[in-house]
Amino acid sequence: MKWEFQWQIFIKEVEIVDMSAASLGDLFYIAAFFLGGLGFAVGPFIIVYLLSPRKTRNIANKTSQFIECGMDPIGPAWIRYGMVFYLYALMFLAFDVDVLFLFPVAMAYNSGQFAGGIRDFVEVAIFVAILSLALVYAWKKGVFKWDRKVYHRQ
Amino acid sequence: MGSESIPSSIVQLSTVDKVLAIGRANSLWPMTFGLACCAIEMMAAGASRFDLSRFGAEVFRPSPRQCDVMIVAGTISKKMLPAVKTLYDQMPEPKWVIAMGNCAISGGPFKFAGQYGIVEGADTFLPVDIYIPGCPPRPEALIEGILELEEKITGNRRWPRVESGLSQP
Repeated sequence: MKWEFQWQIFIKEVEIVDMSAASLGDLFYIAAFFLGGLGFAVGPFIIVYLLSPRKTRNIANKTSQFIECGMDPIGPAWIRYGMVFYLYALMFLAFDVDVLFLFPVAMAYNSGQFAGGIRDFVEVAIFVAILSLALVYAWKKGVFKWDRKVYHRQ
Repeated sequence: MGSESIPSSIVQLSTVDKVLAIGRANSLWPMTFGLACCAIEMMAAGASRFDLSRFGAEVFRPSPRQCDVMIVAGTISKKMLPAVKTLYDQMPEPKWVIAMGNCAISGGPFKFAGQYGIVEGADTFLPVDIYIPGCPPRPEALIEGILELEEKITGNRRWPRVESGLSQP
């Protein structure tokens, strides 16, 4: 409460650019807290830089090896995946969102406010049917054939 | 065989170094890797019965970049030698090495004329600080090794030394 009050004072006085003695004090507090926070964040880095050993003893010059199990890595980590995985994940995402929308429907399906006989069921069926068209579309496009797609660049 | 002197920092203050040494000695983090049956004793030392955590050394780290102590627990085969070297290189300073068991000290029972698969002792390629004899050493021996290492780091022993019962009349 007191903080809010001081903050409002600060904002108001910045607006009207009236540097009275009280607002100068507030600015001093803010600057002090800012510097204190900065010191807590940056200070440990400086202390560690000054006090820690700067290099490590080597016997095989492998300090910079990324893999930490001791074995030499075989090949780079940036290997190529088939495009098929991406399309498959995309289809999963479509139905993931579908289910996300069906959860609130399922929660409210039996409540008295919405229990309207066959109409609710038909609406849900229409919703699912429209989203299922995406499946039919992808099927037609051949997403589910597990072929490696080859794109030729002209 | 590497050097045993720790590379220096930019600022060196005697009192600060002493405080840092106490901190390092009381939170030695060993690396989680075992080469042979000594590793079983190492696991037992870390588990609840022997409870290495009483001495601050129970945090076995899965990455060499977080470790202070490499416990060479077992036979170093020549196949495994490059991996051990790499792990030692990846540990940040300050780092210490404990050779646990006869195999890590000298090759142990696998050392004979004409053997071709075993590195005869970790100190042929690592700066070993503490040797723990035994085949395998009991978990108490590993704890004693950790305490010896603490003594090497700080210059003080944490507990009074326990005299062997055999030497008493």
